[in-house]
Amino acid sequence: MNKSLLISGAGGQGIVSISTIIANIFMLSGKFVSLCPCYGAEMRGGAVNCEINMSDSEILCPQNDEVDFVVALNQTSFDKFINKVKENGTIIVNSSLAKINKTRDDIKYIFAPLTQEALKLGNIKTTNSIALGILSKLLGNLSIDNVKKAYEKILKDKKELIQKNIEAYLLGYNYIQEGN
Amino acid sequence: MSEKTLLKGNIAIAQAALKCGCSCYFGYPITPQTEIGEYLSLKMQESGLGYVCAESEIGAINMALGASSTGAKVMASSSSCAVSLMQEALSYACSDELPIVLVNVMRAGPGQGYIYPSQGDYNQSVTGGGNGDYRIIVLSPSNVQECIDLTYRAFYLARKYRNPVIILLDGLLGQMSEAVEFDDNKYDEINCSNWTLEGAKNRPSRKIHSLEPSSNKLNNHIKKMFEKYSIIKEKEADWEEYLTDDANIIVTAFSTMSRQAKALCNYYRRKGLKMGLFRPKTLWPFPQKRLAELSKKADLIIDIEMNMGQMLKDVELSVLGNSKIEFIGKPVGDFMKIDELVSRTDEILRRTDVSLSHS
Amino acid sequence: MLVYRTPKTIKENSTFTFCPGCDHGIAVKLVANVLDELNLRDETIAVASSGCSVFLYNFLDVDCIEAPHGRACAVATGIKRAMRAQKKENFVFTYQGDGDFASIGLGESLHSALRGENITAICINNTNYGMTGGQLGPTTVLGQVTTTSPLGRNKEYHGFPIKTAEHIALSDGTSFSARVALYDIKNIMNAKKIIKKAFEYQKKGLGFAFVEILSSCPTNWKLTPVESHNKIKNELTKIYPLGIFKDVLNE
Repeated sequence: MNKSLLISGAGGQGIVSISTIIANIFMLSGKFVSLCPCYGAEMRGGAVNCEINMSDSEILCPQNDEVDFVVALNQTSFDKFINKVKENGTIIVNSSLAKINKTRDDIKYIFAPLTQEALKLGNIKTTNSIALGILSKLLGNLSIDNVKKAYEKILKDKKELIQKNIEAYLLGYNYIQEGN
Repeated sequence: MSEKTLLKGNIAIAQAALKCGCSCYFGYPITPQTEIGEYLSLKMQESGLGYVCAESEIGAINMALGASSTGAKVMASSSSCAVSLMQEALSYACSDELPIVLVNVMRAGPGQGYIYPSQGDYNQSVTGGGNGDYRIIVLSPSNVQECIDLTYRAFYLARKYRNPVIILLDGLLGQMSEAVEFDDNKYDEINCSNWTLEGAKNRPSRKIHSLEPSSNKLNNHIKKMFEKYSIIKEKEADWEEYLTDDANIIVTAFSTMSRQAKALCNYYRRKGLKMGLFRPKTLWPFPQKRLAELSKKADLIIDIEMNMGQMLKDVELSVLGNSKIEFIGKPVGDFMKIDELVSRTDEILRRTDVSLSHS
Repeated sequence: MLVYRTPKTIKENSTFTFCPGCDHGIAVKLVANVLDELNLRDETIAVASSGCSVFLYNFLDVDCIEAPHGRACAVATGIKRAMRAQKKENFVFTYQGDGDFASIGLGESLHSALRGENITAICINNTNYGMTGGQLGPTTVLGQVTTTSPLGRNKEYHGFPIKTAEHIALSDGTSFSARVALYDIKNIMNAKKIIKKAFEYQKKGLGFAFVEILSSCPTNWKLTPVESHNKIKNELTKIYPLGIFKDVLNE
């Protein structure tokens, strides 16, 4: 199995952290994985993005023109990366910060008000974890144990945040079932 | 074998350096290698090791020169335009026969260029950017695991041959994270006590210098250096081959570009073409003999680089007319994606009619 | 009875190759005397530089490395940090000319001082680039004729010379900064005392210690050795005053 993902958003939305967590989940599942951070001058503000590739064999192309999944946490990254989704691929869009607008009919759109959901949970910084939950559901086959392990590893210096993020993750995971 | 961890190329190099006993690091910030110095700053200070945020790359590499004269394992790191500033001291270090490990995480040039990944420093590294006759051993990893393995090897070779070693990678690999394991460093410790400076207690004093007013002595010194280089050429050339057994089309590439080149081989194999990859892991010494052998069986060599054709010269010198050579390159901007490689390869195959005779 | 002895730290049978009347010979000997007196030979690593000062390692019987032009303080920094990392006793000093220390190497020199690098730097100031035949350097005084200022140093055209010891004294990391001369016995004895102090300050771990030595260059000044010393005494010390500009133990 090969899967490529692009996680994008604004500086401060936890793009790199959530990408690192995803990459760790893949690694813990015994997969080959590569994570390339956005390679540009944008140190802060603007669009931040990370490309993650997962495979059963050595990853030969860590950067691709098109990916299977795009997560866009704001309008800028939605606009910038809509054309990076492969045919029949999926884009998950944070509709709290981006207008619902379908310009392509060859891909699947999932619009979810992630920021509002995160605020309901009481922590806006869990927006990215809700997105990860949705993504996990679509990817399938990710063991919740590995998800927990990845959070524990990445947030080992901020233990108090682990529970909240897993809660957010599960909210995302169950989000699509609720008829969205 | 430790458990797997997800690490950036830059951090992997820093951790590997500490694992093999690097006790001094000197650096100055420049994207895309800054994480090496950032990571080591805390670890080295905590352990009482030698770390200086140098005033410039010139300062940094000369600190490395001084530190290595004491027998300490020394590393410096930088990127492209700033590695240019270090060339003077590298020339001295070769003549002084001092082991320094220098990491160059390449960005695009010439001049300041930009922070895009690039492979534009091949020539500077393998032919030497400083003055005089000298050689630097150049190791080039293609994935994060190899960043670790080749860092171990770099420290070993530097001390074994008393010569600087450059670890040359492109910015993409420096920034990219992959799952890695830290093997134990399997290389022997090299005893340096017969040449280091640490005070002339109970022995005659020693001097390390490149200045030599006697032309006779200077000639002999350079001759001795080159005798050493011929041993290195003989013993240390290292490379990877992928699907080369029956290949009549050989792709040559180094560092991360070789991964895309492998994907290219897979693509054309599915189309029935016998394509294989030859990847030098040592850029100097270049594995010339093996490529020469392979080229005798090949109809076409395609060299792929993120520059305008720098390794190409070494490929040409190895192939020496045994087969046709074509080049695909892009110096600046995006990493060449597989689609672009395929369309440029298709064009070459059409033009050279190699595909027709073998597909 | 007064018996002359060559300092122990001068290599046996070595002959100075400096020009006749050049003060480098005196300076090297003073350094050797102080190394003897402080019993530092066995733990010393000297850093020589480019220019006439490079020959230090032919005369001094201590471990020595030659630095690229201007980089002596950076090389010394590396040595000092590496020895500390290996927990070894050591004494590190540089021996540089004024062009090396204060022109091409000003960045390395000044930053070593600012870091309070625990090394000692000796700078021979002879107001020109001696080894290359007497060109205008950072310390060439106004009006001085050199092969690249044939009409004399002109402030509008060439700019001003640097007062190195005073500049180094301004750095917070400097423990000691002084300027001495070697034109007569009294000054030579004082220079030795000052060099000794600068070496001791390193042994005490006080930070960057610096001594600028006003030195003659009869060959390039086109003067006799005696005339050269008179020039230092009567002219140069007016521009480059002798004295201690910083002393952390006496403030």
